[in-house]
Parts: sequence; structure tokens; C-alpha cells
Amino acid sequence: MTDKNSDEPGAEGAEGGNVRRDELVAGEYVLGILSLDDRRKVEARMATDRRFAATVRRWQTNLSGLDDAYQPVTPPRHLRRKIERRAFGAPRPASARPSLWNSLVFWRGFAFASLAVAAVLGGMAALSGQAARPLLAPTLSAEMTVTGTGVDLIAAYHAASGRLLVRPVAARNEGAKSLELWLVEGGHAPRSLGVLPETGEGGLVVPADLRRSLSAGAILAVSIEPPGGSPTGKATGPIIAQGPVARMP
Amino acid sequence: MNDEDLALLISRVGLKDRDAFSRLYRASSPKLFGVCLRMLKDRAEAEEALQEVYVKIWARADGFVPAATSAAGWLQAIARNQAIDRLRARKPVADVLDEAYDLPDSTADPEACAVAAGERRRIDACLDELAPDRADAVRRAYIEGASYQELADHFAVPLNTMRTWLRRSLLTLRECLER
Repeated sequence: MTDKNSDEPGAEGAEGGNVRRDELVAGEYVLGILSLDDRRKVEARMATDRRFAATVRRWQTNLSGLDDAYQPVTPPRHLRRKIERRAFGAPRPASARPSLWNSLVFWRGFAFASLAVAAVLGGMAALSGQAARPLLAPTLSAEMTVTGTGVDLIAAYHAASGRLLVRPVAARNEGAKSLELWLVEGGHAPRSLGVLPETGEGGLVVPADLRRSLSAGAILAVSIEPPGGSPTGKATGPIIAQGPVARMP
Repeated sequence: MNDEDLALLISRVGLKDRDAFSRLYRASSPKLFGVCLRMLKDRAEAEEALQEVYVKIWARADGFVPAATSAAGWLQAIARNQAIDRLRARKPVADVLDEAYDLPDSTADPEACAVAAGERRRIDACLDELAPDRADAVRRAYIEGASYQELADHFAVPLNTMRTWLRRSLLTLRECLER
């Protein structure tokens, strides 16, 4: 089993076999040539292996130039209603637990001085401790520009549930970026809490070993990093926002 | 609609904005229907696939990372994946991710993080570096969703030869795209 792939094409190359095989598997996946079972295996791996997922995404981007071959065809009218019925009728996924992005602590903590968030903060009193609820169409929304950074945040407020969702859109400048959230506490160097947009609704789960440190008096900060987050474990890009964490009244 | 506008719409759909979903559908459905039709070559099945595609877009838009992929590329990947799943379910092909291929932890590869932006248009130039029949095989696999067996039949070569063609082509493409 150890030597089984020595006759793999190109296996004699200078790179490690795993990297080579990952490249091929990712490329074959994007090409679409794998069996259904193999496709599910690749997708399961993507969900747990960020580096492998990045390799698949790179193939996707590289090969997407071939998408020009697809000629647009307007679909029949009745499809749209069917789709909306199927999409909107589905029960809300279980991932709707309250996240940092929806928490008042988070918003109090942040000194987004240049953001026009005041207008929507009024709706947030109803937020505390809310479990998942069905989401209706947002009633209010805002696009917020963080001055001078090329980063935008968009917010949608759902009046029926009181939920305010905010997501960063860090794509205004050329070149890809991620927004990384950092915890600064107790004289430690900033420790990463994770990359913001990749976990849906701008939320993330604080690593277990950092939860004790996330308390009143700590500071949260957001930096702009290469896609997937800082390669070094330290903030490498500009800090675009920071502020102290305060306990909710 | 440019890619930035499309990205903004997808981000809004990620916030469960139904109006944004309708606008996204109007802006993108002809292209995605074109993908489904071209791959599935069956109108009824393409209509069914398109519904599945947009239900997925609605469910997954909150995971869209504008920095990581182009908006159009993200949408088209969902459509292609849906169509390919249907093709493979319709006519199963052999599994190849055997134990030798089986998904070990990836070793450190700093290049895996290399940004692909800007490389996109180079795919055509890199395909030109392959022998014409091999470039054609890559295109047929990607665009039509042809399987190894179908490609082997079309080019009248043994199945294993076709596997080697495509895998070598992928390695050549990767090398070319990184130059």
C-alpha cells in the first residue's frame, strides 16, 4: 500500500508524492472526471483540509476560463417560481446559532469609527439570546465602507426576528484577501480567532483554549490578510479595526 | 453585470435577502442554464438541475468568500458540479481514489496558497502547449463532462492511456500556469 503510486504519472518529480497526488486529485475533481463516490470523498476532504480546499479552488479559478464555451440560454419562466418555492420553503439550516457577528458585545467592542452603524444598532436590543428563527426577507440593509481599506461590510436587518447580520466583503481592491479576527489580551501577542467570512454569516467559533481569554478588557482587532488567513500566525496586513470588549449590561 | 456587482448580490443572498436572490437569478440563470444544457444534453434534466443549482446557491451563499474566487466562477462551479453529479449518477464510472490515492494529510505546500487571480486567462495559452488531441480531451472533460471511458472511446485509446494523458496534462497545465 505504501508504494502503490510509484507508477503514477509524473511521480518521479521533485515534489513530495502527496502534494503531487493532491494536485492531480484536485485537478481531476474540477475537470469533473471522477466517479460520484470519489467526488464525495474529495468534498469531504475539502471540508476539513483548508490547504487542499485552496488547491481545488485554484484549479477552479484556473480552469474557469473554459466557462466561456457555455452559451447562455434563457430558462423557461415557470422555473423561477419553482426554485423560489423550493429555496424559501426549506427549513432554516441548523447553523443559525448566534455568532460573534450578531452579538452586542462584539459591536460594543468595536470602534468602527467611520461606520454608519448607529442607524441599525437600535434594532439590536431584541437580539440577546435568540435561538434560530425562520428568516424573512430583510427589511433594512446597509453597505458600509471602511475608509481607506477597500473593505466593505454589508448588513441586513430582519425586523420580524430582530436579527442583524453583517458580512465583510473584502474584494474592492484587486487581489484576494481575507479578514482575520485577533484577540489581544493579558500581554500576549495577538492570537488568531479565525478568518471571518469563511464560516457563514460572518460568524466563527472561538477556539476552546482562547475562550477564557475572551473577556471584558481584552481587545478584538481585524486585519487584512492573504486568502485563508495569515501564513505566519501573526497579523501581517493592516489592522482595519480594533476595540475593547465590554460586558453587556 | 460585472463580477463585483455579482459578488455583492451573492453576499446579500448569504444574508437571506430574497430580493437579491431574484436579481441574482435574473442576472445569472441564462449562463447557468447554458452550463446544464451543454453538459446534460437533455432539456428536462437541465431544468431539474438548474432548480437544484439555485437551491444550493441560496443555501450556500453565506459561505461565499469574495476574496477567494470570482463570483461568476463560484456560480459556474456550482452549476458544473451539479451537472457532473447527475452525469456520473446517470452512468457510473470506476472509482480511482484507491488506497494509494486515498486522501492523506496534505504536506506543507506554500504554493497551494498562491493566489490564482490573474491566471485565469492563461488557461488557453497553456492548453496550446499540450498536443492538440490532449488539449481537446481536457476541454471535452471540462466542458462536456466526458468521462475517462467516453474520452478513451472517442480518441480510440485504452482507458489507462487516457488516464495518463489527462493526468500528465494536468501537471503540465499546473506548471505552465505557475510560470
